Amino acid sequence: MVFHTQSPEETKAAARQVAALLRPGDLIAYRGGMGAGKTTFTAGLAQGLGSGAWVSSPTFALVHQYDGPIPLCHFDMFRITSLEDLYSTGFFDYLDQGAVLAVEWSENIEEALPQPHITVDIALEEGDRRTITVTGDERFS
Amino acid sequence: MKYLVLESSAAAASCALLEGDKVLGEWYLNIPQTHSQTLLPMAEGLLAACGASPAGLDFFAVTRGPGSFTGLRIAMAAVKGMAMAAGKPCVGVSTLEALARNLTGFAGTAAAVMDARCGQVYAALFSLGSGGVERISPDEALSIGELSARLAQLEKPVFLVGDGAQLCYNKILEEKGEAPWLRLAPPHLRYQRAAAAGAAALAAWERGEAVDCGALEPVYLRLPQAQRELLKKQSGAAPEKGSRL
Repeated sequence: MVFHTQSPEETKAAARQVAALLRPGDLIAYRGGMGAGKTTFTAGLAQGLGSGAWVSSPTFALVHQYDGPIPLCHFDMFRITSLEDLYSTGFFDYLDQGAVLAVEWSENIEEALPQPHITVDIALEEGDRRTITVTGDERFS
Repeated sequence: MKYLVLESSAAAASCALLEGDKVLGEWYLNIPQTHSQTLLPMAEGLLAACGASPAGLDFFAVTRGPGSFTGLRIAMAAVKGMAMAAGKPCVGVSTLEALARNLTGFAGTAAAVMDARCGQVYAALFSLGSGGVERISPDEALSIGELSARLAQLEKPVFLVGDGAQLCYNKILEEKGEAPWLRLAPPHLRYQRAAAAGAAALAAWERGEAVDCGALEPVYLRLPQAQRELLKKQSGAAPEKGSRL
């Protein structure tokens, strides 16, 4: 599943389409550097999953939780460098709670990512243009 | 000797009210709601159903770890809060010992195993017999492979108990083809139960291990060095802040 978006609003709209396909327990591993639009995409996911909350970057708190019909947990793993760090974010507990997990800097916890999971790659292009590639099971083909 | 035990170290949550070694009441829930929503209402309901109150208790007990980072802290914070308000002492017990005590009365060895994810488990070994449940090895974090190798050398039969039991059982069967000396604890005895944690708490109380609520602390087992650094190596290859992937 590939989206070409021209603005943050379009990125959110793409995320809402993805959200419609999600099920409790799904994990989204983001690929994409700073400023790619991971938090913007997550804001669209939250809307799509039924939360009216304002979504901000979890860089400081490590995880933000948004309640809705399917809760959404938004992680930033940039500062996570060991299994113990990961344990103390409560990551393993969130995996079992029937929420959707959206994980920024998932590269840092590659070994601990449950299989299978969904990958969202956001490629930064000129200006506000983005190419968003979603891979996972047959839902996203 | 009346005491309330709270247990939420993994997926399930339970609470039990005991008097000596008699279980007066126990509530158990294994549902996808978080322990922060279920544990205190359960404790309140149990006390009410038993006609008891915090003021009438001698102490509060809790499984102090190992276990889920969030789960351990939910039961521990609840126990600390109630003990502080009621001015009562607290007893913290090993989650793995509580699991082994599910098998009181069995004969053989109990391997209490909890899933620590990423191929790791928390485990401890206990001897089961007429002397009750006696510890053989300390609570440890280790790989499933390492634990499996140790189990083969124990007095048989070996009963696996805990949420890592099935994981460990499958691993050993995969390697050896068969292991008639290895048995899974039945489902109703396999997971943490506050009533069994109560048996461990009573023993600790009798050994004089009760503490003030301020001194009660969770025990998060540290993973072996190799596993701890696994991700550090991975992140060494991760991009610097600001770069494109």
